[in-house]
Amino acid sequence: MDAVTYRFSDLNAVIERVHTLVDHWKAEGIFPPVFEDDTLHMLRLAIHEWVANLVQHADFQDREPQILIDIVPNGKSVHCAIRDNSAGFDLDTNLRIRESMLETLPERGMGLLMIEACTEHLSYSRVERGWHCLEFSVSADQDPWLPIPF
Amino acid sequence: MSFSVEPVNQETVIIRIGKALDFRNASEFKSACQDQVRKGVRNFILDFSDTGILDSTGLGSIFSLYRQVSPLEGQVVFASVSRPVQVVVQLTRTYKVFRQFPTVDAAREALV
Repeated sequence: MDAVTYRFSDLNAVIERVHTLVDHWKAEGIFPPVFEDDTLHMLRLAIHEWVANLVQHADFQDREPQILIDIVPNGKSVHCAIRDNSAGFDLDTNLRIRESMLETLPERGMGLLMIEACTEHLSYSRVERGWHCLEFSVSADQDPWLPIPF
Repeated sequence: MSFSVEPVNQETVIIRIGKALDFRNASEFKSACQDQVRKGVRNFILDFSDTGILDSTGLGSIFSLYRQVSPLEGQVVFASVSRPVQVVVQLTRTYKVFRQFPTVDAAREALV
């Protein structure tokens, strides 16, 4: 299946629209047969956490915010690419900092770690002028775990 | 996205989480819970029966509530947990912290 691209620009409405979109994907039956509901919930969570991170923290400078979501079902997994025109940041460094600073029963700082736990082949890089792209896969075979200190 | 609070007794309330507990309404949830704690409530039954979204900020606000009431010998328990919420509970292993009940009534019976 070819990638399907969805474009969002209203940051106030984007989360609601993203969830409507995931519901639409499910209704259309575009996920692999092995992709059970819990795996879909993990995909939904990963997309939600990333878009929430963009809404709350991304620096779009003077540009109109743009978020583009592509998904490609592929065997037992779904590949997802989320492009944005923010200034971007170093995801790997942020992940390691958050991991090292995670306090007992943390109130903040779990979102990126949840994305890392739910996904495979996670990366966030500059892809073209003014754009960055988060890429990951969610697989039907995963049994993810985010070790939060209790 | 507001929360409904149903008193059970002076120390226990049921909070109907509704459709979502996430970065958009976590502050509202914390304020609602703090109001209850100020009134003497110590036990919180969180009803997730209609909840499609629990994100990291929402979970963080529940951790915050737990930190607030556990020194007071209070409890935070989950009831009627929907599958999307259960996925987050499994991912974070928070079932080790929050007791879960299949229904609100079962939670009410256990706490009262």
